[in-house]
Amino acid sequence: MDTVTTLVLGFISIVVVNNLVLTKFLGICPYLGVSGRIDMAFGMGLAVTFVVTLSGTLTWLIDHLILMGTPFEVTRYVCFIMVIAGAVQLVEMYLRKFFPSLYDSFGIFLPLITTNCAILGLCLFINLWGIDNLAEAVVLSFGAGIGFTMAICIMAGIRENLNLANVPENLQGAPITLITAGLLSLAFMGFAGMIR
Amino acid sequence: MILAGIYELWQSSWPAGVIMLGLGGSFALVLLIASEKLKVEEDPKIAQIHEALPGLDCGGCGYAGCGQYAKAVSQNPELIGRCAPGGKKTADKIASILNLQISDSGAPKKPIVHCRAHTEDKTFYGDYRGITTCTAANALASVQACNFGCLGFGDCTRVCRFDAIHIVDGLAMVDYEKCTGCGACAKACPRGLIEMVPFTYENMMTVACRNKEKGKVTRSMCKVGCIGCKLCSKVSDVFTVEDNLARVDYGRYKPDEANEKARGKCPTGVIILAGKGAPAQQEAKAGKAKASSG
Repeated sequence: MDTVTTLVLGFISIVVVNNLVLTKFLGICPYLGVSGRIDMAFGMGLAVTFVVTLSGTLTWLIDHLILMGTPFEVTRYVCFIMVIAGAVQLVEMYLRKFFPSLYDSFGIFLPLITTNCAILGLCLFINLWGIDNLAEAVVLSFGAGIGFTMAICIMAGIRENLNLANVPENLQGAPITLITAGLLSLAFMGFAGMIR
Repeated sequence: MILAGIYELWQSSWPAGVIMLGLGGSFALVLLIASEKLKVEEDPKIAQIHEALPGLDCGGCGYAGCGQYAKAVSQNPELIGRCAPGGKKTADKIASILNLQISDSGAPKKPIVHCRAHTEDKTFYGDYRGITTCTAANALASVQACNFGCLGFGDCTRVCRFDAIHIVDGLAMVDYEKCTGCGACAKACPRGLIEMVPFTYENMMTVACRNKEKGKVTRSMCKVGCIGCKLCSKVSDVFTVEDNLARVDYGRYKPDEANEKARGKCPTGVIILAGKGAPAQQEAKAGKAKASSG
């Protein structure tokens, strides 16, 4: 396979087949917390996409240029978390300056991107899958963000309609949300094994 | 032995520390530059005002939350006094933060529901089985006979942050002990039945009906509607009857004898007292007679 095919397949794989939220169950906190309204969900998806692209690329560089080959590969987690925290700080400052209303509506969920396990998960997956060229790492990181945005937007769309549905009283609120999330990931399990 | 172990550990691990320091330092540098470039100047008064507010984020002031209101009020002091849950205390605090003197903002406003028909008082043409919100039901012309009265699906209950308004037998009733007067229910009611009234006294007299149909039509729809008979306006000048509907001039209302007499004269008992510990509503005279005869 030539490089372009690998990149395209990698992208499709991380967005649909190996979607971090729906098949790896990472990043559930913002997935359930910020999926109440579709515009906020989209904003959150974009913020996560930015952070995950930046940190995925940077961690690949750090991993390959500094850590690999030295006995300090064990410090990978700490380094990765540091990169992610730094990227989130950048996004926070940027949003506060240029999109104050979005900044206000995110509230606590914006700094919580730091602890979004989808991002750390992706950085570690890149290492685990043995991705050894930069272009592929960038495409995978970006695709992971797009996949997260897609998942959270689908969820927000469903939940907006769920507000008008006649849900049995004992299932209202969190239970029906979790059931919806389960059904959604069940649907995405249908893609399993298509690529890689 | 132990010392040697520790020394060995130090020997093999100090480069890791150097790497971490190097990475941390470079990120700190990037963030330092970014924080200088992307600095947001914020008035320290905004934070002070935010602290003085109750922090309930009820939205009664017309802003999305206390943070937004604090920002708005710091720029435009005319907005002082919009915070209903905080009341006069909060308004005074904000004024002192902004170095302003404010005059008395008047009596606190509380909601009054302009309907007193429970399910058994209303007339229905059919059985509504649609979406159970007032906004949805209101779109349907014939959901109940009275096109002015409370629908009883609880849009107001859902928006109330303080558990202060409830649907009791198909009628929204305000719990004045818990009500903070934020006005969220008044905005939520699709029929505009809930009015924010300045409570100059503990209990305010009001006409709990909005039906503008002629008396005979109103009677056919509802046992406790205002039929526009003008008995009240003849006894007390606080009452005015317009479009077959009595109204109270809240600014001139006093809990005096004439008003009490007017309340006693009302044939459908639609003139009620609202407020903390208001006396029980009287039964409709004519309505009750009709119900027992037919």
